Amino acid sequence: MTWSTAAPAVAAAFLASLVEVVEAFTIVLAVATLRGWRPAAIGTAAGLALLASLVLLLGPLLGQIPIAPLQLAIGVLLLLFGMGWLRKASLRAAGIIPLHDEDAIFAAEAAGLGGQARHRRGRLDWVAGVTALKAVLLEGLEVVFIVIAVGTARGLLVPASLGALAACALVLAIGGLVHRPLSRVPENLLKFGVGVMLSAFGVFWTGEGLGIAWPGQDLALLLFAALFLGAGLIGTVVARRLSVEFAQ
Amino acid sequence: MTMLKELAGELIGMFAGERRLTISVLATVAVVGSLVDFIGFDPLLGGAALLLGCLTLFVDSVLRGARPRRP
Repeated sequence: MTWSTAAPAVAAAFLASLVEVVEAFTIVLAVATLRGWRPAAIGTAAGLALLASLVLLLGPLLGQIPIAPLQLAIGVLLLLFGMGWLRKASLRAAGIIPLHDEDAIFAAEAAGLGGQARHRRGRLDWVAGVTALKAVLLEGLEVVFIVIAVGTARGLLVPASLGALAACALVLAIGGLVHRPLSRVPENLLKFGVGVMLSAFGVFWTGEGLGIAWPGQDLALLLFAALFLGAGLIGTVVARRLSVEFAQ
Repeated sequence: MTMLKELAGELIGMFAGERRLTISVLATVAVVGSLVDFIGFDPLLGGAALLLGCLTLFVDSVLRGARPRRP
């Protein structure tokens, strides 16, 4: 394993996890604020345990599949997932889709739990725990996919998992200190960056799975990332202009 | 059961959130794969076609997203 192969995988896992953990943290914090840390911590721990089991189960299983079909399958999935993220981030940057608002999500989640408190007071701790579990599970699914996808094809499952765990630890540490939704995290910028990296990985591995030997090997990833970055920026600028024209 | 449904929805949304983009990318990969594997197309040209195809589909999808939806 060299840094040139491990660094992009670890960075992609770290940045993607940062985005998703910030989103999950907002909901867990809403649960903790309204119902205390116990149900929030139990729900979070259960969600993390389920996600970790998925990585531990799927990682070695995927390792048994021959490398070419595995690279093709993972490459195509990364392409679909990465281009989807990049598209959404471009449209958000262009002002067409509203930006993710952690404060609004926190308020909505708190209002939802408050409403349930009036109706089902006795079961509220259970409901709060399940809310935290669901948030961690739903947001974490994307992280698990990214960790497995960028980690399995090159035997980088452990470094990619460590990248994701580092993001988790960072968000929890900062969130624990400030004790409010991390709405200042430039979520769309991170999503844009991760979309660029995953799309580049997707083209690279789809090509390798199809038997294409890229010139410059891993360095081709940098070129692909630069091209997707350029396409994302052009798409954002043109989409912004188009939306202004359509609005007039 | 509701959570399982939400998990399934999340998984589908992860890869096929934008149906048109998903179908076009899959078709591009299938065409490039067929050209390289069955017709003996130069793999490097196939790679270039894959890359340019994906970039074009991406920009097209963003621009489509910018257009107002028909009522």
